[in-house]
Amino acid sequence: MFDRQPRRRLDGELSDEQLHREALAGSGEAMAALYRRHGGLVYRFSLRMSGIPAAAEEITQEVFLALLTQVDRFDAGRGMLSTWLCGIARRQVWKYLARNNAALVDSDEECTLELQSPDDGPAEVMLRGEAVAAVRAGMDQLPPALREVVILCALEEMSYEQAAQVLAVPVGTVRSRLHRAKARLAGLLRTEMASMERKRG
Amino acid sequence: MNADRELDDILSEIGREHRAIGAPESLEPLLFAASASRIRDTRQRRMRLTWALATAAILLAVVAAGGIVWQTRGSHPRQTQQAQLVPARPVGPESRPAPVQDPGRQKSVPKSAPLHKTGPAHVNLRDSSAKQPAWNSLDEFVALPVSEGLPAATELSVVRVRVRGSELRQYGLEAPPDAGAQTLLAEFAVGEDGLPRAIRIVR
Repeated sequence: MFDRQPRRRLDGELSDEQLHREALAGSGEAMAALYRRHGGLVYRFSLRMSGIPAAAEEITQEVFLALLTQVDRFDAGRGMLSTWLCGIARRQVWKYLARNNAALVDSDEECTLELQSPDDGPAEVMLRGEAVAAVRAGMDQLPPALREVVILCALEEMSYEQAAQVLAVPVGTVRSRLHRAKARLAGLLRTEMASMERKRG
Repeated sequence: MNADRELDDILSEIGREHRAIGAPESLEPLLFAASASRIRDTRQRRMRLTWALATAAILLAVVAAGGIVWQTRGSHPRQTQQAQLVPARPVGPESRPAPVQDPGRQKSVPKSAPLHKTGPAHVNLRDSSAKQPAWNSLDEFVALPVSEGLPAATELSVVRVRVRGSELRQYGLEAPPDAGAQTLLAEFAVGEDGLPRAIRIVR
Protein backbone atom coordinates (compact mmCIF):
# COMPACT_ATOMS: atom_id res chain seq x y z
CA MET A 1 0.00 0.00 0.00
CA PHE A 2 1.18 3.49 0.71
CA ASP A 3 4.36 4.20 2.58
CA ARG A 4 3.96 6.90 5.14
CA GLN A 5 6.35 9.68 4.30
CA PRO A 6 8.96 10.03 7.01
CA ARG A 7 9.14 13.35 8.78
CA ARG A 8 11.76 15.60 7.34
CA ARG A 9 14.32 16.96 9.72
CA LEU A 10 14.98 20.56 8.87
CA ASP A 11 17.16 21.41 11.85
CA GLY A 12 20.34 22.24 10.00
CA GLU A 13 18.92 23.08 6.60
CA LEU A 14 17.09 26.32 7.03
CA SER A 15 17.46 29.57 8.91
CA ASP A 16 15.14 30.52 11.75
CA GLU A 17 13.28 32.91 9.49
CA GLN A 18 12.72 30.28 6.82
CA LEU A 19 11.61 27.74 9.39
CA HIS A 20 9.22 30.28 10.90
CA ARG A 21 7.71 30.99 7.48
CA GLU A 22 7.27 27.28 6.83
CA ALA A 23 5.74 26.75 10.26
CA LEU A 24 3.27 29.52 9.57
CA ALA A 25 2.44 27.84 6.28
CA GLY A 26 1.51 24.73 8.21
CA SER A 27 4.76 22.77 8.24
CA GLY A 28 4.87 20.73 11.41
CA GLU A 29 8.43 19.69 10.58
CA ALA A 30 9.53 23.31 10.56
CA MET A 31 7.84 23.94 13.88
CA ALA A 32 9.48 20.86 15.39
CA ALA A 33 12.84 21.99 14.07
CA LEU A 34 12.40 25.40 15.65
CA TYR A 35 11.46 23.77 18.91
CA ARG A 36 14.50 21.50 18.86
CA ARG A 37 16.67 24.49 18.10
CA HIS A 38 15.36 26.93 20.71
CA GLY A 39 13.12 24.95 23.02
CA GLY A 40 15.97 24.20 25.41
CA LEU A 41 16.78 27.85 25.97
CA VAL A 42 13.16 28.75 26.60
CA TYR A 43 12.53 25.80 28.87
CA ARG A 44 15.72 26.28 30.91
CA PHE A 45 15.03 29.96 31.40
CA SER A 46 11.46 29.26 32.46
CA LEU A 47 12.58 26.48 34.76
CA ARG A 48 15.26 28.57 36.47
CA MET A 49 12.86 31.45 36.94
CA SER A 50 9.81 29.50 38.08
CA GLY A 51 11.58 26.61 39.80
CA ILE A 52 8.77 24.24 38.78
CA PRO A 53 9.18 21.89 35.77
CA ALA A 54 5.45 21.72 35.04
CA ALA A 55 5.21 25.49 34.95
CA ALA A 56 8.28 25.73 32.76
CA GLU A 57 6.78 23.22 30.34
CA GLU A 58 3.53 25.15 30.17
CA ILE A 59 5.35 28.41 29.57
CA THR A 60 7.49 26.83 26.86
CA GLN A 61 4.40 25.58 25.10
CA GLU A 62 2.80 29.03 25.29
CA VAL A 63 5.91 30.63 23.88
CA PHE A 64 6.06 28.38 20.84
CA LEU A 65 2.35 28.67 20.19
CA ALA A 66 2.90 32.42 20.20
CA LEU A 67 5.13 31.83 17.19
CA LEU A 68 2.00 30.82 15.32
CA THR A 69 -0.40 33.35 16.76
CA GLN A 70 1.67 36.51 17.20
CA VAL A 71 2.95 36.39 13.67
CA ASP A 72 3.38 40.10 13.19
CA ARG A 73 5.32 40.71 16.36
CA PHE A 74 8.50 38.94 15.30
CA ASP A 75 10.70 41.01 13.02
CA ALA A 76 13.76 39.14 11.85
CA GLY A 77 15.39 42.45 11.00
CA ARG A 78 15.29 43.61 14.59
CA GLY A 79 16.69 40.61 16.38
CA MET A 80 17.17 36.91 16.57
CA LEU A 81 14.33 34.50 17.03
CA SER A 82 15.96 33.04 20.13
CA THR A 83 15.96 36.39 21.93
CA TRP A 84 12.40 37.08 20.79
CA LEU A 85 11.26 33.72 22.14
CA CYS A 86 13.15 34.30 25.36
CA GLY A 87 11.49 37.70 25.69
CA ILE A 88 8.07 36.10 25.42
CA ALA A 89 9.12 33.46 27.93
CA ARG A 90 10.19 36.20 30.30
CA ARG A 91 6.80 37.91 30.09
CA GLN A 92 5.06 34.61 30.69
CA VAL A 93 7.32 33.88 33.64
CA TRP A 94 6.60 37.22 35.25
CA LYS A 95 2.88 36.64 34.79
CA TYR A 96 3.27 33.24 36.36
CA LEU A 97 5.21 34.66 39.30
CA ALA A 98 2.59 37.37 39.78
CA ARG A 99 -0.21 34.82 39.68
CA ASN A 100 1.51 32.69 42.27
CA ASN A 101 2.35 35.61 44.52
CA ALA A 102 6.02 35.07 44.15
CA ALA A 103 8.26 37.64 45.79
CA LEU A 104 8.73 40.09 42.94
CA VAL A 105 11.20 42.19 44.84
CA ASP A 106 12.28 45.22 42.90
CA SER A 107 15.85 44.97 41.80
CA ASP A 108 16.75 48.25 43.44
CA GLU A 109 15.68 47.10 46.85
CA GLU A 110 18.16 45.51 49.10
CA CYS A 111 17.67 41.82 49.53
CA THR A 112 19.36 39.74 52.13
CA LEU A 113 20.32 36.31 50.93
CA GLU A 114 19.96 33.55 53.41
CA LEU A 115 22.30 30.67 53.11
CA GLN A 116 21.32 27.15 53.59
CA SER A 117 23.05 26.02 56.71
CA PRO A 118 26.25 24.14 55.95
CA ASP A 119 25.01 21.60 58.42
CA ASP A 120 22.20 20.71 55.98
CA GLY A 121 24.63 18.89 53.72
CA PRO A 122 26.43 15.73 54.64
CA ALA A 123 29.67 16.36 56.35
CA GLU A 124 31.67 14.50 53.76
CA VAL A 125 30.46 16.69 50.92
CA MET A 126 33.33 18.37 49.16
CA LEU A 127 33.83 22.03 50.01
CA ARG A 128 33.53 22.96 46.36
CA GLY A 129 30.24 21.16 46.12
CA GLU A 130 28.97 23.11 49.09
CA ALA A 131 30.01 26.35 47.50
CA VAL A 132 28.24 25.45 44.27
CA ALA A 133 25.11 24.50 46.15
CA ALA A 134 25.28 27.73 48.08
CA VAL A 135 25.54 29.82 44.93
CA ARG A 136 22.73 27.88 43.30
CA ALA A 137 20.53 28.44 46.32
CA GLY A 138 21.56 32.05 46.41
CA MET A 139 20.54 32.45 42.77
CA ASP A 140 17.12 31.12 43.55
CA GLN A 141 16.73 33.73 46.24
CA LEU A 142 17.75 36.64 44.08
CA PRO A 143 14.95 38.99 43.04
CA PRO A 144 13.63 37.91 39.64
CA ALA A 145 14.96 41.02 37.94
CA LEU A 146 18.50 40.13 39.02
CA ARG A 147 18.06 36.40 38.65
CA GLU A 148 17.06 36.65 35.01
CA VAL A 149 20.18 38.64 34.20
CA VAL A 150 22.39 36.00 35.82
CA ILE A 151 20.59 33.24 33.94
CA LEU A 152 20.94 34.94 30.58
CA CYS A 153 24.45 36.35 30.89
CA ALA A 154 26.19 33.88 33.19
CA LEU A 155 24.43 30.59 32.53
CA GLU A 156 23.28 31.00 28.91
CA GLU A 157 26.36 33.07 28.05
CA MET A 158 24.38 35.63 26.12
CA SER A 159 26.02 38.92 25.28
CA TYR A 160 24.84 42.04 27.08
CA GLU A 161 23.16 43.18 23.88
CA GLN A 162 21.22 39.94 23.51
CA ALA A 163 20.18 40.01 27.16
CA ALA A 164 19.10 43.62 26.75
CA GLN A 165 16.87 42.57 23.84
CA VAL A 166 15.31 39.80 25.86
CA LEU A 167 14.71 42.02 28.87
CA ALA A 168 13.76 45.05 26.80
CA VAL A 169 16.09 47.28 28.78
CA PRO A 170 19.21 49.23 27.84
CA VAL A 171 22.54 47.45 27.83
CA GLY A 172 23.71 49.61 30.74
CA THR A 173 20.84 48.31 32.84
CA VAL A 174 21.88 44.75 32.10
CA ARG A 175 25.44 45.52 33.16
CA SER A 176 24.41 47.18 36.39
CA ARG A 177 21.93 44.45 37.29
CA LEU A 178 24.50 41.76 36.61
CA HIS A 179 27.03 43.62 38.71
CA ARG A 180 24.59 43.87 41.61
CA ALA A 181 23.60 40.23 41.32
CA LYS A 182 27.19 39.07 41.29
CA ALA A 183 28.07 41.29 44.22
CA ARG A 184 25.33 39.67 46.26
CA LEU A 185 26.33 36.18 45.22
CA ALA A 186 30.00 36.96 45.96
CA GLY A 187 29.06 38.21 49.41
CA LEU A 188 27.12 35.05 49.97
CA LEU A 189 30.03 32.99 48.80
CA ARG A 190 32.42 34.80 51.11
CA THR A 191 30.16 34.09 54.04
CA GLU A 192 29.96 30.45 53.00
CA MET A 193 33.71 30.17 52.60
CA ALA A 194 34.26 31.73 56.02
CA SER A 195 31.83 29.28 57.49
CA MET A 196 33.64 26.40 55.86
CA GLU A 197 36.97 27.72 57.14
CA ARG A 198 35.58 27.81 60.64
CA LYS A 199 34.33 24.28 60.30
CA ARG A 200 37.67 23.13 59.02
CA GLY A 201 39.53 24.95 61.80
CA MET B 1 40.86 32.97 47.85
CA ASN B 2 39.30 35.52 45.54
CA ALA B 3 35.55 35.20 45.99
CA ASP B 4 34.78 36.94 42.71
CA ARG B 5 36.91 34.58 40.68
CA GLU B 6 35.54 31.63 42.61
CA LEU B 7 32.03 32.87 41.87
CA ASP B 8 32.77 33.07 38.14
CA ASP B 9 34.10 29.50 38.20
CA ILE B 10 31.04 28.28 40.06
CA LEU B 11 28.71 30.10 37.71
CA SER B 12 30.50 28.51 34.75
CA GLU B 13 30.01 25.11 36.31
CA ILE B 14 26.36 25.75 37.01
CA GLY B 15 26.03 27.10 33.45
CA ARG B 16 27.41 23.89 31.96
CA GLU B 17 24.90 21.86 33.93
CA HIS B 18 22.20 24.34 33.05
CA ARG B 19 22.82 24.20 29.30
CA ALA B 20 22.74 20.42 29.36
CA ILE B 21 19.04 20.60 30.15
CA GLY B 22 17.03 20.06 27.00
CA ALA B 23 13.50 20.95 26.12
CA PRO B 24 10.93 18.31 27.04
CA GLU B 25 10.30 16.03 24.09
CA SER B 26 6.67 15.69 25.03
CA LEU B 27 5.97 19.15 23.62
CA GLU B 28 7.33 18.45 20.14
CA PRO B 29 4.41 16.42 18.77
CA LEU B 30 1.98 18.89 20.28
CA LEU B 31 3.62 21.82 18.52
CA PHE B 32 3.90 19.77 15.33
CA ALA B 33 0.15 19.23 15.41
CA ALA B 34 -0.55 22.86 16.29
CA SER B 35 1.38 24.06 13.29
CA ALA B 36 -0.20 21.52 10.97
CA SER B 37 -3.68 22.39 12.19
CA ARG B 38 -3.00 26.03 11.56
CA ILE B 39 -3.19 25.54 7.80
CA ARG B 40 -6.40 23.59 8.22
CA ASP B 41 -7.88 26.40 10.29
CA THR B 42 -6.73 28.94 7.72
CA ARG B 43 -8.35 26.95 4.92
CA GLN B 44 -11.56 26.63 6.88
CA ARG B 45 -11.58 30.35 7.60
CA ARG B 46 -10.99 31.11 3.91
CA MET B 47 -13.73 28.68 2.93
CA ARG B 48 -16.15 30.30 5.36
CA LEU B 49 -15.23 33.74 4.07
CA THR B 50 -15.70 32.62 0.47
CA TRP B 51 -19.09 31.17 1.27
CA ALA B 52 -20.13 34.30 3.11
CA LEU B 53 -19.08 36.48 0.18
CA ALA B 54 -20.80 34.23 -2.32
CA THR B 55 -24.00 34.24 -0.27
CA ALA B 56 -23.88 38.02 0.02
CA ALA B 57 -23.34 38.34 -3.74
CA ILE B 58 -26.27 36.03 -4.47
CA LEU B 59 -28.52 37.95 -2.09
CA LEU B 60 -27.45 41.20 -3.68
CA ALA B 61 -28.14 39.83 -7.15
CA VAL B 62 -31.57 38.60 -6.06
CA VAL B 63 -32.43 41.98 -4.55
CA ALA B 64 -31.22 43.79 -7.66
CA ALA B 65 -33.14 41.46 -9.95
CA GLY B 66 -36.23 41.92 -7.82
CA GLY B 67 -35.86 45.68 -8.06
CA ILE B 68 -35.51 45.52 -11.85
CA VAL B 69 -38.53 43.26 -12.18
CA TRP B 70 -40.56 45.54 -9.93
CA GLN B 71 -39.58 48.59 -11.96
CA THR B 72 -40.29 47.00 -15.33
CA ARG B 73 -43.62 45.66 -14.10
CA GLY B 74 -44.52 49.14 -12.94
CA SER B 75 -43.92 50.69 -16.37
CA HIS B 76 -44.58 48.04 -19.05
CA PRO B 77 -48.27 47.37 -18.54
CA ARG B 78 -49.09 51.06 -18.92
CA GLN B 79 -47.13 51.35 -22.12
CA THR B 80 -48.64 48.24 -23.53
CA GLN B 81 -52.08 49.31 -22.49
CA GLN B 82 -51.68 52.77 -24.03
CA ALA B 83 -50.25 51.32 -27.21
CA GLN B 84 -53.38 49.27 -27.58
CA LEU B 85 -55.66 52.17 -26.76
CA VAL B 86 -54.33 54.43 -29.48
CA PRO B 87 -55.98 53.54 -32.75
CA ALA B 88 -53.77 53.04 -35.76
CA ARG B 89 -54.05 55.49 -38.59
CA PRO B 90 -51.72 55.81 -41.54
CA VAL B 91 -50.18 59.26 -41.79
CA GLY B 92 -47.87 61.14 -44.14
CA PRO B 93 -44.30 62.10 -43.46
CA GLU B 94 -44.90 65.86 -43.69
CA SER B 95 -44.08 66.85 -40.14
CA ARG B 96 -41.03 65.33 -38.53
CA PRO B 97 -40.35 66.76 -35.09
CA ALA B 98 -36.93 67.13 -33.66
CA PRO B 99 -35.54 64.22 -31.67
CA VAL B 100 -35.97 64.35 -27.94
CA GLN B 101 -33.05 66.03 -26.23
CA ASP B 102 -31.25 65.07 -23.05
CA PRO B 103 -32.58 61.61 -22.53
CA GLY B 104 -32.58 60.72 -18.86
CA ARG B 105 -33.40 57.08 -18.79
CA GLN B 106 -34.35 54.57 -21.42
CA LYS B 107 -36.55 51.60 -21.13
CA SER B 108 -37.01 49.09 -23.86
CA VAL B 109 -40.58 48.50 -24.84
CA PRO B 110 -41.49 45.04 -26.06
CA LYS B 111 -41.74 44.61 -29.76
CA SER B 112 -45.17 43.22 -29.27
CA ALA B 113 -46.48 46.68 -28.47
CA PRO B 114 -46.25 48.73 -31.67
CA LEU B 115 -47.54 52.25 -31.39
CA HIS B 116 -49.29 53.85 -34.36
CA LYS B 117 -49.48 57.57 -34.22
CA THR B 118 -52.83 59.28 -34.61
CA GLY B 119 -54.72 62.37 -33.72
CA PRO B 120 -55.02 65.97 -34.89
CA ALA B 121 -52.12 68.22 -35.69
CA HIS B 122 -52.54 69.97 -32.37
CA VAL B 123 -54.14 68.55 -29.33
CA ASN B 124 -55.39 70.89 -26.72
CA LEU B 125 -55.28 68.71 -23.71
CA ARG B 126 -57.39 71.03 -21.65
CA ASP B 127 -60.06 70.94 -24.27
CA SER B 128 -59.87 67.23 -24.64
CA SER B 129 -60.11 66.65 -20.91
CA ALA B 130 -63.50 65.17 -21.39
CA LYS B 131 -61.95 62.31 -23.33
CA GLN B 132 -58.55 62.28 -21.66
CA PRO B 133 -57.39 63.13 -18.17
CA ALA B 134 -56.13 66.66 -17.36
CA TRP B 135 -52.71 67.43 -18.83
CA ASN B 136 -50.94 67.56 -15.49
CA SER B 137 -52.32 64.25 -14.38
CA LEU B 138 -51.72 62.35 -17.60
CA ASP B 139 -50.34 59.11 -16.46
CA GLU B 140 -50.85 57.33 -19.74
CA PHE B 141 -49.21 57.85 -23.10
CA VAL B 142 -50.87 60.09 -25.62
CA ALA B 143 -49.79 60.07 -29.24
CA LEU B 144 -47.96 63.22 -30.20
CA PRO B 145 -49.59 65.29 -32.94
CA VAL B 146 -46.17 65.96 -34.42
CA SER B 147 -45.68 62.27 -34.98
CA GLU B 148 -48.28 62.27 -37.69
CA GLY B 149 -46.93 60.93 -40.91
CA LEU B 150 -44.12 59.05 -39.31
CA PRO B 151 -43.82 55.40 -40.18
CA ALA B 152 -45.11 53.05 -37.55
CA ALA B 153 -42.43 52.19 -35.04
CA THR B 154 -41.73 48.55 -34.56
CA GLU B 155 -39.86 49.10 -31.33
CA LEU B 156 -40.20 51.93 -28.88
CA SER B 157 -37.97 53.21 -26.15
CA VAL B 158 -39.16 55.30 -23.25
CA VAL B 159 -37.06 58.38 -22.54
CA ARG B 160 -37.68 60.37 -19.41
CA VAL B 161 -36.92 64.11 -19.64
CA ARG B 162 -37.68 67.32 -17.79
CA VAL B 163 -39.42 69.90 -19.93
CA ARG B 164 -41.08 73.21 -19.30
CA GLY B 165 -44.80 73.38 -19.88
CA SER B 166 -44.23 75.93 -22.62
CA GLU B 167 -41.92 73.54 -24.47
CA LEU B 168 -44.75 71.11 -25.04
CA ARG B 169 -45.88 73.35 -27.86
CA GLN B 170 -43.10 72.10 -30.12
CA TYR B 171 -44.60 68.64 -29.77
CA GLY B 172 -48.01 69.84 -30.77
CA LEU B 173 -49.43 70.11 -27.28
CA GLU B 174 -50.71 73.15 -25.53
CA ALA B 175 -50.28 73.55 -21.84
CA PRO B 176 -52.43 76.00 -19.87
CA PRO B 177 -50.81 79.44 -19.41
CA ASP B 178 -50.21 78.95 -15.69
CA ALA B 179 -48.25 75.74 -16.42
CA GLY B 180 -45.95 77.32 -18.98
CA ALA B 181 -43.17 78.03 -16.50
CA GLN B 182 -43.50 74.75 -14.65
CA THR B 183 -40.96 72.03 -15.11
CA LEU B 184 -42.58 68.74 -15.88
CA LEU B 185 -41.20 65.26 -15.80
CA ALA B 186 -42.36 63.63 -19.00
CA GLU B 187 -41.77 60.35 -20.70
CA PHE B 188 -41.53 60.14 -24.47
CA ALA B 189 -42.04 56.97 -26.41
CA VAL B 190 -39.31 57.17 -29.03
CA GLY B 191 -39.19 55.03 -32.13
CA GLU B 192 -36.13 53.27 -33.44
CA ASP B 193 -35.56 56.31 -35.70
CA GLY B 194 -35.10 58.52 -32.64
CA LEU B 195 -38.35 60.44 -33.20
CA PRO B 196 -40.94 60.76 -30.43
CA ARG B 197 -44.29 59.12 -30.96
CA ALA B 198 -46.11 59.62 -27.68
CA ILE B 199 -45.82 61.44 -24.39
CA ARG B 200 -46.80 60.84 -20.83
CA ILE B 201 -46.59 63.34 -17.99
CA VAL B 202 -45.08 61.67 -14.99
CA ARG B 203 -45.47 64.68 -12.69
